[in-house]
Amino acid sequence: MSFDLNFIGILIGAIMASSVPLILAASGELITERSGVLNLGVEGMMIIGAISGFALMVVTDNLFFAVIGSMFSGLIISLIFGFLTQTLLTNHVATGLALTIFGIGMSAMIGKNFVGIPGKEFPLLFVNLKESIPFLGPIFFGHSIILYFAFGLPFLTNYFLKKTKTGLVVRAVGDSPASASNQGINVSLVRYSCILYGGSMCGLAGAYLSLIYTPQWIENMTGGRGWIALALVVFATWSPIKVLIGALIFGGITILQLHMQAVGLRIPVQLLSALPYIMTIVVLVVISRDSRKIKLNTPTSLGQIFYKEK
Amino acid sequence: MNTKLKVSEISKIYPGCIANDKVSLEFGSGKIYALLGENGAGKSTLVKILSGVVKPDEGEVFLNDESIKLNSPQDAKKNNIGMVFQHFNLFETLSVFENLSIDSDKKDEDLRVLVNDILNKYNFKIDLDIPVLNLSAGQKQKVEIIRCLIRNPKVLIMDEPTSVLTEQETDDLFISLKQFSKDGILIIYITHKLKEVLSLCDEVAVMRKGKVVSVSNTIDEKIESLANKMVGENLNTIKKKIKNSKDSEEILKISNLNFKSEDPYETNLNNLNLSLKKGECLGIAGISGNGQNELFQILSGEIITEGTSIMFRNKEIGKLNPRERREFLMAFSPEDRISQAAVPELKIYENVALNNFKSSNFFEKGLVNEKKIKEHSKKILTNFSVNTDNVELKSQFLSGGNLQKLIIGRELITSPELLVCFNPTWGLDVGAINYIHETLIQINEQGKSSILISTDNDELLKLSDRICVIYKGKLSKIMNADTVTAEKLGILMGGGSID
Repeated sequence: MSFDLNFIGILIGAIMASSVPLILAASGELITERSGVLNLGVEGMMIIGAISGFALMVVTDNLFFAVIGSMFSGLIISLIFGFLTQTLLTNHVATGLALTIFGIGMSAMIGKNFVGIPGKEFPLLFVNLKESIPFLGPIFFGHSIILYFAFGLPFLTNYFLKKTKTGLVVRAVGDSPASASNQGINVSLVRYSCILYGGSMCGLAGAYLSLIYTPQWIENMTGGRGWIALALVVFATWSPIKVLIGALIFGGITILQLHMQAVGLRIPVQLLSALPYIMTIVVLVVISRDSRKIKLNTPTSLGQIFYKEK
Repeated sequence: MNTKLKVSEISKIYPGCIANDKVSLEFGSGKIYALLGENGAGKSTLVKILSGVVKPDEGEVFLNDESIKLNSPQDAKKNNIGMVFQHFNLFETLSVFENLSIDSDKKDEDLRVLVNDILNKYNFKIDLDIPVLNLSAGQKQKVEIIRCLIRNPKVLIMDEPTSVLTEQETDDLFISLKQFSKDGILIIYITHKLKEVLSLCDEVAVMRKGKVVSVSNTIDEKIESLANKMVGENLNTIKKKIKNSKDSEEILKISNLNFKSEDPYETNLNNLNLSLKKGECLGIAGISGNGQNELFQILSGEIITEGTSIMFRNKEIGKLNPRERREFLMAFSPEDRISQAAVPELKIYENVALNNFKSSNFFEKGLVNEKKIKEHSKKILTNFSVNTDNVELKSQFLSGGNLQKLIIGRELITSPELLVCFNPTWGLDVGAINYIHETLIQINEQGKSSILISTDNDELLKLSDRICVIYKGKLSKIMNADTVTAEKLGILMGGGSID
């Protein structure tokens, strides 16, 4: 019995690990969207984070630099998005799509020289506790510091949005940038900050993939996770805690259906592969069906260009 | 604490339009000042300059004889100038308290005490912890006012504050404003409603085409004198001959109509009965929110009812949608010009095309017959004196009055037998109101009928042949207009009864 329980613990640990990039990217994007900016470049920012993190790791041989560098590169690429949408007032959707295409291309170009290089082992915390406690050990211990950060992030985000003055300002800007501007809030500054924060979180999410989850560089290694993160934000109706739930369901069913495929159940593989997407949407739609709350959480000005009357 | 505010030689020029042309005015605390003018006269630009939203090209503002720079809304706040805009600057999804705390430097607990003091002092009743989107327009305005009061303003500017209020809310607002004035706040009240100027304000400055044309004490003014100053020409007063068209045929009959809504914000309608004769105007009075919206939608076909409950020219139309009803020669002018009657982003001729009939041939084989629509639109623009001849213009650039003329024109150019209009002159200036009123009288004279749902009693008394009142989804007895007075209407609108 204890073996089975321990196996389930390991499974849960694996599910948690697989949902980390989603949580990071979605939490970052959530802040961006709450300020009224729709950045569809999540996938692009993630993949740039993944390659720059990996490349820095190879070049400097320092994981700390690699992680910080990935966040910085996510921030830089989102700065391009910010400059285009906030200063030059381009369309959010088109700019975001362009950012993704740019990121994928750019990462493939930089990544050419890094294909096939083995990654470096990322330090995991509390490894001995993981092995000595059955079931709970593999769930709570033996993870990278980034995982712990990721699981704290939705709660921090929630606290930030609901309890802090700055969070209130972000929500206000997302609700009505014109009113915010009339109240003397620097809308452009708030939106730039949120875009940059979202970008750095996406960069970190990418680095988690290339440094920890599958420590190597493979072209296109984000594999659509950026799009899932975007969808999570919407289906979680801009609530950080629901983003966490959604990411766990997605990660969970992804891992489970892989096991089901391995066991050889007589269900078409295509259906199993589609399962995480379907189930995540179904669950999030069900838990978010309170239309009043949706209205209160949805950033009213999402994707709208705002410019100040001179 | 005396406050003196002076604007001196303020000019602001927009491409193609001089919004303010050397405007100079002086204000002092203890009085309520009216700034009166038609839409586009430059009032809003002036108050935007005073609140720091717009920078003037020339001129200076003096507060207590000191020149002040108003480069941003913060500058206005720093100088204790508070401003309540016509369109609320609130965050709908945030709670009332969050809306108030967002630009306050005070601690939340201190702010709450202060806000509660203000609520008690002025007898405002607002729950601080519900989201703003659940408030009525009047309550939202109070939130805006509280937001100004928190900062101990010396000057409070109100931009067309009553355009969204019911009569009761307007009365409440006036009481509050008089209280503020007594407390030493200088109040500048921007409006185009003449009655309000006379009942509330001490001094009135009239603006026309960017210039101040007159400053006077309201005691010396009458509605007519102000109206003439505002428009710059002598307006003819319109009067209608009330018809007692007993003999003419019945064109519309609603019998025992009930409507139960699933939306808690809508009003249920109970057992409505009315009939309308050819060539008459039936006025429906009431305080907004008593079922006018629902009644309009039932008449227009946005809400479908039992077929037999509405008979139009002896045909059952209850089940028909708005387009089908239009084919039967009914026409509709909804209350909300921008979101219901027209699509502001579309060009004029595209908006005209939205109202297509089988006979109008606007579309051929699925393609838009642009030439035909444009000709048709040009005809509307000239026949209904819309102030442009450019059918390519986006409708959002039309002023409220011109947009309403376009909408009414679009409805009337097909000579319908019945026009249903809902607050057709809401928010319009005197010139446009006069034009719309003349048009509505004209269609009755041509033997066409109209139903006028309005919250403006003067308008109803002026245009209707018969009047009834809607209260909580029920219609009162239908009365001949010559037997009705404003007092009677007031009693019925408040739910009272008369003999």
